[in-house]
Amino acid sequence: MKIIIIGAGEVGFHIASHLAAENKDVVVIDKNPEATRRVADNIDVQVLVGSGSSPVTLEEAGIHSAEIVLAVTDSDEVNLVSCLVADIVSPGTKKLARIRDEHFDAYIEPLRQNAPHIDTVINPEVEVVKTIERMMTVPGAVDVGEFAEGRVKFVGVRLEENCPLAGKRMMDLPAVLDGRRLLIAAMLRQEELIIPRGADRLMAGDLVYFISEEHALGETMAIFGKRSEPVRRVMIVGGGRIGFRLAHRLEALGFQAKIVERRPERCQMLAECLNKTVVLHGDGSDQDLLTEENIQEVDLMVTLTSDEETNILSSLLAKRLGARKTITKINKFSYLPLMSAIGLDHVVSPRLSAINSILQHIRRGKILSAISLKGEQAEAMEAVALETSEIVGKPLRRIDFPKGSLVTAIIRGQEVIIPTGDSVIAPDDRIIIFARRQAIARVEKILAVKLEYF
Amino acid sequence: MRWRPIFNILGLLLFFLGLSMILPLAVALWYRDGSATAILNAMVATTAAGLGIHLGVRGHHMETIHHREGMAIVALGWTLVGLFGALPFFFDQGFHSFTDAFFESVSGFTTTGSSILNDIESVPRGLLFWRSFIQWLGGMGIIVLSVAILPFLGVGGMQLYKAEVPSPVPDKLKPRIRDTAMIMWKVYGLISAAEVVFLLLGGMSLYDALCHTFTTMPTGGFSTRNASVAAYGSAYIDGIITFFMLLAGVNFSLHYQFLRGRPLAFWRDPECRFFLAAVTLLTLAVTWDIWRTVYAGLGEALRYGLFQVVSILTTTGYVTADYEQWPAMSQLILLVCMFVGASAGSTGGGMKCLRIMLYFKYCYRELFSLVHPHAVTHVKIAGKRVPDKVMRAVMGFLALYLGIFVVASILLAGLGVDFTTSFAAVAATLGNIGPGFGTIGPVENFAHLPLPGKWLLIWCMLVGRLEIFTIIILLVPEFWRK
Repeated sequence: MKIIIIGAGEVGFHIASHLAAENKDVVVIDKNPEATRRVADNIDVQVLVGSGSSPVTLEEAGIHSAEIVLAVTDSDEVNLVSCLVADIVSPGTKKLARIRDEHFDAYIEPLRQNAPHIDTVINPEVEVVKTIERMMTVPGAVDVGEFAEGRVKFVGVRLEENCPLAGKRMMDLPAVLDGRRLLIAAMLRQEELIIPRGADRLMAGDLVYFISEEHALGETMAIFGKRSEPVRRVMIVGGGRIGFRLAHRLEALGFQAKIVERRPERCQMLAECLNKTVVLHGDGSDQDLLTEENIQEVDLMVTLTSDEETNILSSLLAKRLGARKTITKINKFSYLPLMSAIGLDHVVSPRLSAINSILQHIRRGKILSAISLKGEQAEAMEAVALETSEIVGKPLRRIDFPKGSLVTAIIRGQEVIIPTGDSVIAPDDRIIIFARRQAIARVEKILAVKLEYF
Repeated sequence: MRWRPIFNILGLLLFFLGLSMILPLAVALWYRDGSATAILNAMVATTAAGLGIHLGVRGHHMETIHHREGMAIVALGWTLVGLFGALPFFFDQGFHSFTDAFFESVSGFTTTGSSILNDIESVPRGLLFWRSFIQWLGGMGIIVLSVAILPFLGVGGMQLYKAEVPSPVPDKLKPRIRDTAMIMWKVYGLISAAEVVFLLLGGMSLYDALCHTFTTMPTGGFSTRNASVAAYGSAYIDGIITFFMLLAGVNFSLHYQFLRGRPLAFWRDPECRFFLAAVTLLTLAVTWDIWRTVYAGLGEALRYGLFQVVSILTTTGYVTADYEQWPAMSQLILLVCMFVGASAGSTGGGMKCLRIMLYFKYCYRELFSLVHPHAVTHVKIAGKRVPDKVMRAVMGFLALYLGIFVVASILLAGLGVDFTTSFAAVAATLGNIGPGFGTIGPVENFAHLPLPGKWLLIWCMLVGRLEIFTIIILLVPEFWRK
């Protein structure tokens, strides 16, 4: 499979490295020789210096044989034009574009139907707002993802020391759970991802990922001893595009929101466009301002400025001043491992979101959605079991799943099954698989059609 | 100031005013009531004066009319039609002095409805018709003034409505006014015709139906009967008039939108919602207050309560009940109604619902800023920001309105008028309502006031009708500088 990536920024870089690790044929195009050199030095992909919107460059990159073009430069306009040119040069190629301007929100369908024929518009800002919304709806969770149109959630929680599950081996869990069902999909311990087996222990401080049906979520969270006080008062620091989108969304959902923004003109604009949100002019790391606005009563502080250091400091300050929960926006992946060390568990990253949405469109077979976990060491994938694939029709324990992968749920019609070794996957079931990065390629292979079928 | 184009227009205005006197003349001749000579004299005088002024300054077109000239035309125009409109009354012997004739005429053109007539029914029918008709003409002027001219001049925050009737030529008055005026007059005429039909169905004579329509639609309030609308004693007529007073109290561009097939236009307009909410709440309060204390039945209390609240709030000034006999709370509510007034862009007077609304929002914003010192907030209407310039104009308007009210009431009291009458007379004329409290209450009139007091109230009517600024600005020396 050949993929052309236009734009070697953070998103382009990470997608390229992801895909290269899965032995896909990747070409990265960027105008900036510095950026392409960085890609070429670190990843085993082909690079091309030039404009992604130039038909000549695209031809040179071999667009005719490419299955997918990803336009992920920082500029919406360049992405749109690149797709348009790609559409003219090679109409058969699938096109994905990152478009962030909210003015395009209502035109996603026309963009698919008409000229650029963009198959998928990726708006990381929308994804981030959705992620924050999900974190708000599952209080106590560090990470929340959705499968099967939201009927199944996959949730990451930090295991507290006083939790009855701490220190237990997986095989002993049924005794502790006393009839309640819980499927632990993965643990993250000191930046190490563990797909647990019977003898593995749960340790206090682990980030535990589990799968739960939506209606059973409250009960499952209770097992972990998480308070489920709903979020009511939200403070947003940073009135940029994501902050504005979030505030808008919170207004629609009926939350009380305050938004802090440093630039006075932006404050004017926010105050003009937002009706119920309190717009505050000031610095999110200004202790007096936060105290004045009752930070100790705030249920959730979301820091979304363009400067991640400010975000981290504001979140830390807010926690210290009594905010119940914080969500911090981080773009640099190198900071991600630091976050839990300094006590900021809830992190969102537009780039990670963009990568997630792109990944699910690149995956082979019948993969419906893919969510990459913290630090990208693993993915959770939702896939349709094809009749002809080798996972169908026999008990799970007899299927040769690659090491470091686990089937965590089977969705059959309206029913959600938490599988055991004896469960059998039927054709057209949807399954949710957790897999470490090294195992992804092999999982994809299993999900795909059996070779002897041809 | 360029006087020639101004007088060009004023001359034309007088000429048409003179021509329109043909209607009362026809009525006078039809009823043979003996007022035909007076009206004919007035007609000749007005037409001649108009034609004279117009021809005297001819050759100057109005393309170059700007803010200052616009204000001068508005202020002088209303004063001049007031003067010449008084001629039919003055030439008839029934009116004692020119002051009285002028008072009645200005009260008509400003759609106020305050009268100096002790016995209305003894006045010849031709003159009574003219008295009603000038209110209708005044209403036509008000619509153009409030929908087209004042938003353009930016008086008292009225530029909020500027965007509603977009003009291709942003800084020239003429094309905008002409187009807008034609549309609004059609709407005005249409609703007036409907009211005539409904009143005829209620058993009114054609003459009474016409006269009452002419004074309902401009929220004027002159009646052809001494007892006003109460003379008919019909719940149907009360209801019809209440309904049309409400229509007249709503922004006419909403009527236009409604007729153009947007049925939700009224509901979508925040000022209209405020106006209707005010009517509902105040009516309920008054009804509750007068039920069992004045009227035995709830239905009866509601009928009179609603009529009076609507009549005063829309600044019409019809009466179906002597509200001075009502409990104090109801009287105070009616007094508040005098200040609130109808919607901007309607024919009603007062401070206007829009400004009151903006005032409340502004106050809330101030309180909000005290709680959140760093908050950035805007006053908004229908989700749109109200520019600070508009807010300042609104605040300036409210302050001036109250300032003039205070000074004028003190002056009137200084002329020997009693306490209640002093402030009620000023409130009723400044808000263009009509009747007030005290010795100028619903069953009395303004005839007994001292001569200088009448002139003061004439001035108040003009000031209130022309949104304060257009008249006050004539008193500012800066206005006259070259």
